[in-house]
Amino acid sequence: MTETNRNRLMLLIAIVMAAIYLFPLYWMYITALKSGSEMFATPPTFWPSVPQWSTYAFVWESRGMGRYLWNSLIIASGAVVLITVLGVGCAYVLARYRNGWVDIGLFLILMLQVLPASLMITPIFVGFSQLGMLDYPRLAVIIAIAAKSMPFFVVLVRATFMAVPMELEEAALVDGNSRVGAFFHIVLPLARNGILVSAILIFMQAFGEFVYSKSIIQDIELQPASVGLNSFMGPNTNEWNNIMAYATIYVTPILAIFVLLQRRIVSGLTSGAIK
Amino acid sequence: MTKQIELSGVNKYYGAYHALKNIDLSIEKGSFVALVGPSGCGKSTLLRSLAGLESISTGDLKIAGELMNNVPPRKRDIAMVFQSYALYPHMTVEQNLTYSLRIRGVAKAEAKKAAEEVAATTGLSHLLGRYPRELSGGQRQRVAMSRAIIRHPKAFLFDEPLSNLDAALRVHMRKEIRTLHDRLHATSVYVTHDQIEAMTMADHVVVMKDGVIEQQGAPLELYDRPANKFVAGFIGSPAMNFVPATVGEDGRSLAVDIGEKQTIPLDRQLQPGRKVTAGLRPEHLHFVEPGQGVFRLPVGIVETTGSATYITTSTATEVTVVDTTRRPVGAGDVIDVSIRPADVHIFDAETGLRV
Repeated sequence: MTETNRNRLMLLIAIVMAAIYLFPLYWMYITALKSGSEMFATPPTFWPSVPQWSTYAFVWESRGMGRYLWNSLIIASGAVVLITVLGVGCAYVLARYRNGWVDIGLFLILMLQVLPASLMITPIFVGFSQLGMLDYPRLAVIIAIAAKSMPFFVVLVRATFMAVPMELEEAALVDGNSRVGAFFHIVLPLARNGILVSAILIFMQAFGEFVYSKSIIQDIELQPASVGLNSFMGPNTNEWNNIMAYATIYVTPILAIFVLLQRRIVSGLTSGAIK
Repeated sequence: MTKQIELSGVNKYYGAYHALKNIDLSIEKGSFVALVGPSGCGKSTLLRSLAGLESISTGDLKIAGELMNNVPPRKRDIAMVFQSYALYPHMTVEQNLTYSLRIRGVAKAEAKKAAEEVAATTGLSHLLGRYPRELSGGQRQRVAMSRAIIRHPKAFLFDEPLSNLDAALRVHMRKEIRTLHDRLHATSVYVTHDQIEAMTMADHVVVMKDGVIEQQGAPLELYDRPANKFVAGFIGSPAMNFVPATVGEDGRSLAVDIGEKQTIPLDRQLQPGRKVTAGLRPEHLHFVEPGQGVFRLPVGIVETTGSATYITTSTATEVTVVDTTRRPVGAGDVIDVSIRPADVHIFDAETGLRV
């Protein structure tokens, strides 16, 4: 087999794999545009004969999606801000100091990452309820998500900080800066890409978070879009086009962010964001 | 002459590891001092202690007469050039140069003027707007130097600044750094593992090993009168030949054991029968007519560089001879060489100290 043929075969395999992987997404988009009868047609149609654009407006209005998305945005932004402010400092310390205690700390942080949300929710719920935090359910969810996602952020950002050579900081110290000044002038600007990428990943996670929101937030007015989507579901659900329209409205902004920043995200995850 | 840097009884421990042992060193204002030694000898630790990047465990460290033991780097008024140059990647050359000035609150226009002046002297004027990643190795090196110069610090510290450059550029930058030092009347401390750099650049060379200063002095003093076997072997290239020897019964000759025993005269009186090590510099061994020399040596390997020929013998204790007369020699030949008695270095066989 020649080089060109092998490359073509590889490309073909890649396309097939990508198609399989992206099919559900495609199915979501077209189902949202199908009419009630076309949705259940056999054989299924792969392109809606008459796109039902009005479904979007109907779902947006009837489900009160503006409010759901607003809540999701508040929760995700709150979690990202909290994690970034606390996590950057934590990651920096873990990157710059090496001793037994730091290793233990790192191990505990990674342990936290292992525990699933559905396991954690019970103790968190009880604890929050004791503290009276269930009166501020969105704040409670923000804190719970921050606790859950912090390890992921710290581990990623620590790697970014470790890629910033110690000598640069030392040069800044000799040049007349303090430790804190060197951090803000030299280290932070150089780690900016890695921090930004990690924050975006956290944002996307938090935007779709379900378990904590579902359990902690009882008031429909305060629930995020993930919980709103779940309330569609029932034993006899058949309005798939509406559900898919909801899902489309929910995930498209996130997908758009990802596509727009995809090059930065990939390079931020692999390199150390230096140079 | 005033002392710009003074260390007395300085020790540094990392846990149980004793990195610097009782260092006494004083550096005159305006002198160029090289710290040289094999890797792990503590020379970088010593330099970093001067900068304040490491704290010393015991002893006194004074810069310009002031005790600096617990003073943070930013208040020591010293500049350092790092091995990796440590240029701030997110700043242009001009911003790199003016960073220290901006921290000190120097006005923008003034800082810019200072950067332009320094850049003019180091040939960077046309590069002020570039980022470090857009520069060649030599240019980065110059930026690192300029960043140190712009502050007029009390001392310049260099941490192996030339080791990332290719050979030709290294020789060139060596001269440039020395010229700059002379022009600025600066005090410089220069760490290197390359004894040639130390010998060619410095007024005062400090040879270190395992955290101890083995010897310090002017370059030729170290070459002519090494205090011990380590310094003798470290200074000079190719390295000094060491051969086991015994002082003859008259006390004025040396029985040298290079495969076969040969006797060389001494220019001083030593205790008869004493076991010593004779140090013979390759460049001090001269060719003589057959039968006239003190050594007859079988030739093993011949390496030619054009200017000199390095001949390694096939004797049990290998001896290197440097010849600059282009005498035709091949492997398997037997050569006759001689050495002036004054050029023979003698070290105690056990302690390695100069006799």
